Amino acid sequence: MDEILKVKADDLCKKICSGEIKSLDVVKAYVARIKRTNSKVGAFLKLNEKKSLEQAACSDRKIESGEKCDFLEGIPIGIKDNIMIKGESMTSASKYLENYVSPYDATVIEKLKSASAIFIGRTNMDEFAMGGSTETSAYLKTANPWNVEYIAGGSSGGSAVAVSAGMVPFALGSDTGGSVRQPASFCGVVGYKPSYGLISRYGVCALASSFDQIGTFSKDVRGSALLASVMIGKDYRDSVCEPIEQINYVNYIDDDSNLKMLKNVKIGIPKQLFNYRMDTEISENFNKAVNKLRFLGAEIIEIDIPSYKYVPALYKVIMCAEVSANIATFDGLRYGYRSQNAKNLNDEYAKSRAESLGYEVKKRILFGTYVLGAKNYHRCYNQALKVRTLLINQITDAYRKCDFIFSPATLQVSVKFGETLLEECDIFLIVANLTGLPGITVPSGFTNSDMPVGVHFMGSRFSDVKLFQIANAFEKISDFDVNKYPEL
Amino acid sequence: MVNYESVIGLEVHMQINTKSKIFCECSTQFGLEPNSNTCVICTSQPGTIPILNKKAAEAVIKTGLALSFNINKESIFARKQYFYPDSPKNYQITQSDPPLCSKGKLSIVIKGEEKVINITRIHLEEDAGKLVHEIGSRKLDYSLLDLNRAGVGLMELVTEPELNSPEEAFEFLSELKNIVEYLETSECNMEEGKMRCDVNVSIRPVGQKEYGIRVEIKNINSLSGVRDAIAYEIERQKKVLTSGGKLIQETRLWEAEEKMTKSMRSKERALDYRYFPEPDLVPFELTDSFIEGLCKEIPELPRTRKARFIKDYGLTEYTASYLTSTKIVADYYEEALNYLKDKKASSKLLANWISTELNAKFNVSKISISESPVSCQNLAKLVSLILDGTISGKIAKIVFDEMFEKSSDPEKIIKERGLVQISDKLIIVKMCEEAILESTKAVREFKSGKEKAIGAIVGLVMKKSKGQANPQLVNEILMKILKT
Repeated sequence: MDEILKVKADDLCKKICSGEIKSLDVVKAYVARIKRTNSKVGAFLKLNEKKSLEQAACSDRKIESGEKCDFLEGIPIGIKDNIMIKGESMTSASKYLENYVSPYDATVIEKLKSASAIFIGRTNMDEFAMGGSTETSAYLKTANPWNVEYIAGGSSGGSAVAVSAGMVPFALGSDTGGSVRQPASFCGVVGYKPSYGLISRYGVCALASSFDQIGTFSKDVRGSALLASVMIGKDYRDSVCEPIEQINYVNYIDDDSNLKMLKNVKIGIPKQLFNYRMDTEISENFNKAVNKLRFLGAEIIEIDIPSYKYVPALYKVIMCAEVSANIATFDGLRYGYRSQNAKNLNDEYAKSRAESLGYEVKKRILFGTYVLGAKNYHRCYNQALKVRTLLINQITDAYRKCDFIFSPATLQVSVKFGETLLEECDIFLIVANLTGLPGITVPSGFTNSDMPVGVHFMGSRFSDVKLFQIANAFEKISDFDVNKYPEL
Repeated sequence: MVNYESVIGLEVHMQINTKSKIFCECSTQFGLEPNSNTCVICTSQPGTIPILNKKAAEAVIKTGLALSFNINKESIFARKQYFYPDSPKNYQITQSDPPLCSKGKLSIVIKGEEKVINITRIHLEEDAGKLVHEIGSRKLDYSLLDLNRAGVGLMELVTEPELNSPEEAFEFLSELKNIVEYLETSECNMEEGKMRCDVNVSIRPVGQKEYGIRVEIKNINSLSGVRDAIAYEIERQKKVLTSGGKLIQETRLWEAEEKMTKSMRSKERALDYRYFPEPDLVPFELTDSFIEGLCKEIPELPRTRKARFIKDYGLTEYTASYLTSTKIVADYYEEALNYLKDKKASSKLLANWISTELNAKFNVSKISISESPVSCQNLAKLVSLILDGTISGKIAKIVFDEMFEKSSDPEKIIKERGLVQISDKLIIVKMCEEAILESTKAVREFKSGKEKAIGAIVGLVMKKSKGQANPQLVNEILMKILKT
């Protein structure tokens, strides 16, 4: 593997800006890597080779002429295929949007454009981000680069694999119920989901609006902090987006002081964690991680959150309810797939959707429609809202006793294609979506069969800076080697 | 035979008078090229998110305040789901519970008596687009979709079932329309669909407490249509019941040309809208100071203004009613009055000119006062020309015709056409002497004591002067000559 590909995102930025490395060489190396490995892992749906090379050359000229570098000058980045880039296709990995061209830029895309990042390609995902394996994509299966017989996780599997396999220094995903952090953990990269309202959702094809957040993938914590810094901030086009101070997270990342911080940190571990069946190797790895944190001075506290047991049901009800409304706009009339076999209006709706949407999408629409029906609203949907409030209250209480809630990222290691994960596998990730809290997964080691495992830190709302700091500290003591790449 | 009473409730939709739509920046202008007022948000492209136009919410709150509503400081939006091509998201963003405004009232005057009608709620929502099924007179075998109207802000007002006759419903709507026009929160134009009204009608034997079977009537496009549709529906329901039939809960459409209601769908096929809280918009958090601020922006409302007109300007009940029946007429009146020096002397004359002559012109030419070719400044000039004796009332009407036709200045017309009143005594004496010589019969009668006969002679003088002689002077001078 080309050495240039092993330079971490933040260093890469500095080296390009100083002229030490040419952006064109970087992009060429990544394009070559994608071309060589994509057939094996299926991370990318589309590669923007020509345009990326042009942009890279442009950045190099800019640097040579002594102009000031933008924040991500000449750095390639992978974009999940559910984020709008004006004039480009946006399929959300659905047949319904096969020929759709974005008429506008998402807010994060606008910000990345003005930071002079290069959109090297679109990454694969579960259809409309519905799934946890990237197997529901209408176009492509994405394989885990550490063992291509295993799933990458999902829904942002393509982005996770792209970073893991060294096809891009970092990538964007979206996280509604762990869709960034779960595949990140399966693939051995850092996955970050910000506090709800920290990054604008405008221009991300909606799954469940209450939970959707754009998240980042990178090899190291510093990379995610860098990428997040470009995207955060109030956006008048997304009213749930909160006004926050525009800061550069990277400035808060310092190995020594972050490690020292552990001495004053209280880490909460939910006692409910031990009610679930967990892969032995995950359990062992997690215990090791806890001991390391304790050794460096962190206070480990047991916390009690009884509502954890409702999380899977709660998530399914609210998420599907919102899905059923959000996906309703895909009716075949104004854009997207339109059936040629329809006889009248209702037939057109039915056939256009039946012929173009996948099984998982249909299942969720039906379930969401059911829980919102007049007969079920109170006992299903409304009940879920109440339990969600209960969960939020219990979590808020827990944060009076601790600074972070710590758990394994997933309760299982990635599985082979066709095998299903347990419903509880990623509930510790989903809690962050249900409560609007920031969460980050950091690789913590490998199993005996060389599959990555990870841990998850969840902070209080808008404590994203501190979250990056503890994640960075952990990264330094983790058994995982960030310089190790899968062999492809 | 059983005596029935009717129970009527109204659901009124009014387009909110804002420059841009409720959830995007598109214009709300009416009558533009189809789909020209659209954007990625109101056509529901993937990834778009509604953003609330605060002005729309303010308009609803203002309307609520003017109608004595409680303003709910914490209300939310909801999604109402149904598939129809005019609604690009296939759900409508509206409000369920609580709405922005709860429990208001409006009083109407029926046969001289005041009746207070309670209003359940006013909430904020978005309008749908339009389906087009024909081009001109050509029916299409497909439908076209125009999304210009999709996402225009609407306020929906729902009354309690407290109206008991078509006239009460008509009065309620007229009064509501008038108030809302005063507030300028909606243009309330029923022809342009800026005000729409669905009606719930049921009947029950007088004295019965329970309501009868309720029928909803849709597709009513005018105020008089509301009255006619209700009247028709009451009669229809009575006929069904007296002939031993049964009513069903249903939705009926008003067919204005046939003047009848027709069944559209029965209650069994009622839709389940699967309402749930809109996650893309944050809940309202209104402060007292914000609401108080809006309270201060509420202008003088029609009833208060009418009372003031009667008191300050000495107008009759009838004239004041006419002038305050729409804000624009009342504004026109007061603006014109401002141009007049002696307001006390001119207020009545000006009011009469607006309520009779100008009004008559509007009726004939079928234009509204907003398009009036006579500016308030010019009408004020005309009135002052009458008051200072420059022209007579008769000549004024001739001048007025031309003012209306050509939008011109009355002074200019009078000058150009030489219509200035003749008040020169020498000229009038000469004309009077001539007339006396030509009216031997009338003179004889006058001298024999029939003083009324002078009228014929005055008429002759006026004819000779082409109406320009000052009639009062003519009278005085004739009297003088004939009595000496």
